[in-house]
Amino acid sequence: MIRVSNLKAAYGKIEALHGISFHVEKGEIVTLIGANGAGKSTTLKALMRLTPPESPVVTGGDIQFNGVSILGMDAHRIVADLKMTLAPEGRHIFGNLTVLENLQLAAWTRRKENTVKEIHYIFDMFPRLAERARQRSDTLSGGEQQMLAVGRALMTKCSVLLLDEPSMGLAPLIMYDMFRTLKQLNADGLTIVVVEQNARLALQVADRGYVLDTGEIVAEGLAEELLQKPEIMAAYLGG
Amino acid sequence: MEFILQQCVNAMQWGSFYALIALGYTLVYGVLRLINFAHGDIFMVGAYLAFFISTAFLAPDGLFGFSRELTLALTIPLTMIFTSLVGVTLERIAYRPLMRRGAHRLYVVITALMCGLVLENGNLALLGASRKTLPVLLDKSVYDFGGIAVTNLKLWVILAAVLVFLFLQFVVTKTRLGMAMRAVSWDKFALPLMGIPLDSVIVFTFVLGSGIAGLGGMLFAMSYPVLEPYMGAMTGWKAFIAAVVGGIGEIRGAFVGGFLLAFVEVMVAAFLPSTFRDLFAFSILLVILWQWPTGIFGKPATSKI
Repeated sequence: MIRVSNLKAAYGKIEALHGISFHVEKGEIVTLIGANGAGKSTTLKALMRLTPPESPVVTGGDIQFNGVSILGMDAHRIVADLKMTLAPEGRHIFGNLTVLENLQLAAWTRRKENTVKEIHYIFDMFPRLAERARQRSDTLSGGEQQMLAVGRALMTKCSVLLLDEPSMGLAPLIMYDMFRTLKQLNADGLTIVVVEQNARLALQVADRGYVLDTGEIVAEGLAEELLQKPEIMAAYLGG
Repeated sequence: MEFILQQCVNAMQWGSFYALIALGYTLVYGVLRLINFAHGDIFMVGAYLAFFISTAFLAPDGLFGFSRELTLALTIPLTMIFTSLVGVTLERIAYRPLMRRGAHRLYVVITALMCGLVLENGNLALLGASRKTLPVLLDKSVYDFGGIAVTNLKLWVILAAVLVFLFLQFVVTKTRLGMAMRAVSWDKFALPLMGIPLDSVIVFTFVLGSGIAGLGGMLFAMSYPVLEPYMGAMTGWKAFIAAVVGGIGEIRGAFVGGFLLAFVEVMVAAFLPSTFRDLFAFSILLVILWQWPTGIFGKPATSKI
């Protein structure tokens, strides 16, 4: 479905990805793991074709979606046409909008009348959001904001969801809940690429994983195999 | 008493002009955090466009020989459309490339200042120093409200400002495009991830702000028909100050700030020599800002518009 080949990406003159290759198949959960600064977030931003200065410029290689290069596409077209979106690191919810408005906004590409049912679907998945529907979203707790970030991404009707550090800042119980929800969404057909510093957690839900270190892929394999390799866990993932 | 009420009517008219400009300042600032210092000159461009469009249409000299009513009816929308094109052009060729490359906001603001000077002096170079006079488009009639004289044009100006204000409030709070504008003001990064083209939202903001300034410029030229290239500079500065005093980024702030400034100005001029007007007016605004540093409706946090 997604095929990344020899991808090089840079922020200004500083190259952050030195030619990485990986692929994601339909219906998979794939995780990119690695330490801070390994290039995980950079990879996701490059996949979404987000623009500088926050995001890198692709300087080499290719990203293909269903066999077609997407390097020339704008981010909003990737969301609207390819049905792929990103729940970014730090959540980036619209704090000056209510929870409901955040969800409505994500349904931009569709008619307003059709979104009521979809919003109820999100509220069923995250009942806490329903309670706070009319509240400004910057009043939410960290966990609730993460739910909103995922809910908002789903409101775009994506079939591929990229997640950047969904566990960040969450209490363990909420974190496990979040990953259980992701697993359920995947069972319902959603393809997921998740970037995590919490490698153990990510590998427990993922089908396959790639280990990044300073802009290169240093290991890859089935998730359970990677979990069994103590030398990788120790070298790149802090045990 | 009648004298004061008469001055109030004048203040309402000037407040409308300030508000029409201040709304554009506040829209662009609210969405992009950019102080578009060319905005006062966009107002001037609006006045000139109204001049060219109306003289082209109006009998007996115009190409089309239209009646006054028809000319007025056509000049209003055309002026707004062409003025917004000028605003969008500035965004496209001056601001967007800078912001795209991650330039600090200061450089974009300085660029806006330069754009304003380019518009002023471009006008001077193209049209020379001779002043243009807008033809009469509206037959003047004066209404008498218990001794207070109000022209029909003044009423139209005030009505236009109120309608534009209500329209903008509606767009920003009730429509999805307005929701997107508010979202951009909070977080530009995440907007494309919703499938929303960021550039279109920004362009729409400039269309709104410049179109309204164009309307303001035209109404101003109808009220004070002699046009000159620098007419937007001082008025634009004052409208910007009005927007800040009202709380920049807030639509009702720009509206209230515009009227507040006009009331202070007119009342000072009514009781003191007119040379004192700006000195007193801005001193009073200084005190207001001293009391409310983020403006009357402004919020200290980053949650504008």
